[in-house]
Amino acid sequence: MVADTLPVTGGVGDTGAPRRGRARVLFRHLGTPIAIAAALGVLYLWVHGLKLDSIERRTLNYTYMHDRVIEHFKLTLIASVIIVVIAIPLGVVVSRPRARWVSPVILGLSNLGQAIPSIGVLVLLTIKFGVGFKIAMIGLVAYGVLPVLRNTMVGIQQVDPALVEAARGMGMTRLQVLLSVELRLAVPVILAGLRTALVLTVGVATLATFVNAGGLGDMIVNGIKLSRHPVLITGGVLTCCIAFLVDWLGSLAEDVLRPRGLS
Amino acid sequence: MFENSDGGVRIELRELTKRYPGQTAPAVDAVSLDVPAGELVVFVGPSGCGKTTTMKMINRLIEPTSGEIRIGDEDVLRMRPDDLRRHVGYVIQQIGLFPHLTIAQNVGVVPKLLGWSKAKINDRVDELLGLVGLDAADFRSRYPRQLSGGQQQRVGVARALAADPPVMLMDEPFGATDPITREHLQNEFLRLQRELRKTIIFVTHDFEEAIKLGDRIAVLREGSHIAQYDRPARILSAPADDYVAGFIGTAGTLKRLALITVEEARTAGDGPEGTAGLPEVEATATLREALDAMVAHGTEEVAAVSGDVRHRLTYQDICQAINSESREVEPSGG
Repeated sequence: MVADTLPVTGGVGDTGAPRRGRARVLFRHLGTPIAIAAALGVLYLWVHGLKLDSIERRTLNYTYMHDRVIEHFKLTLIASVIIVVIAIPLGVVVSRPRARWVSPVILGLSNLGQAIPSIGVLVLLTIKFGVGFKIAMIGLVAYGVLPVLRNTMVGIQQVDPALVEAARGMGMTRLQVLLSVELRLAVPVILAGLRTALVLTVGVATLATFVNAGGLGDMIVNGIKLSRHPVLITGGVLTCCIAFLVDWLGSLAEDVLRPRGLS
Repeated sequence: MFENSDGGVRIELRELTKRYPGQTAPAVDAVSLDVPAGELVVFVGPSGCGKTTTMKMINRLIEPTSGEIRIGDEDVLRMRPDDLRRHVGYVIQQIGLFPHLTIAQNVGVVPKLLGWSKAKINDRVDELLGLVGLDAADFRSRYPRQLSGGQQQRVGVARALAADPPVMLMDEPFGATDPITREHLQNEFLRLQRELRKTIIFVTHDFEEAIKLGDRIAVLREGSHIAQYDRPARILSAPADDYVAGFIGTAGTLKRLALITVEEARTAGDGPEGTAGLPEVEATATLREALDAMVAHGTEEVAAVSGDVRHRLTYQDICQAINSESREVEPSGG
């Protein structure tokens, strides 16, 4: 009885993360918000110290920037919800043994969605359907579906087949196996894909300005067209900060939602 | 579900066949076999002989092409597969513990599927962990990766026993463990089975393991054809053909020695005086171990020790025991 016992470090409920690892995790989680706050602080001080002309003042004021940031968030969040709703179920379907033959097709299509330049897609869609929020959505979703879809597929396929066999052998239904084994174990991989997609979407959402759907792209494009560097830089920095914030939220979600017991 | 859940129930296979599309020869070809209630039957054969396929048809992880399976009085092929599997214990070589669930949750999977109350599941988990030799208080809330391979396999056995199924299917359960751990697990498992008397089908390609664990052994060849189905001692002393003999390999007699205990073979009733200075073996040890002690010490006698009682066991006793057993076996064998 003793020969095969393994010394276990830590007490009951200890998942084995060494202290130094925890400190690093904490640092990582604190580091990003501090960096974002610092960037915004520096930006504010810099813009505050500039003598702005009337064109710049029309853009670099609280109301205008607040509206653009909200628009940007709206574009990003709604696109992300649509991406999740499309990509995760599709990834699940494609990972079913019976549907595995369609996976190259689906992967090919979603690769295409990401490979063709998003600005080109937006222009084509605009020529065909006109401008507006919905058109921007289509472009964003087409671009962001791939990472989530691919990671859902891979996440489910990488689950040890022995676990699925054990689960079926104990009398779990296929749905129970999917929900309480396969998807649970795929969570870290799916979240990683979602995080990538979110960050991509924040960036691509700056292009929404070309289809008159607003967002921080307005500031960037105005800054370029009117040669007003403070406007361009402010728009760019705000976009970056949103991307970092979203990435940070993603990393928090990964740590919270990752099943305990996984190394 | 199955009558007589206390201990095991009988399993009958009738003309059980599995054909895969596109293959000319069936993977399993009309196997018929009776497994008596409470016995452990080992399917042994080379890789690809269909032994695992045959086993997996019993819990319908693989659907038979034709044939009949009965567990107790139930016609397995008429049952809902998920219901069936909740009442048939299943242990696989990879163990398949869910890494995201604690040990207690892993063991409680089937009871939970069956809708037991939380309190009942908790009690059962503690009982089972104790049964397989793990301290429940210590192990309940650990995760599988915090356990050694041997401990994980114990949990695997506990999990398969959770809903007290009358029938267990075990697919090379100890195959992936190191030799020392494997021996531990085998011994523990034998002790457990003597207590529980489940009906067990146990698949392995390790003939030594088959001899050690099986009440009966089914030696299988290509297409899951049964080359011989008998008690281990009889397969060793009277192999049905060259194929079975090939499986036994050389030193079949030595292997048979491992099936007889010192207690069973002992004829001389000498007291403590005659055994002074002799190498000692436990009375529950096998003749193989006794012979090993003789060879190691260069004697022709050992002392069989059982508590305070000591008896003498000689080389002649061993020869007699093995030969008299052959005589018992041979007339009915074949």
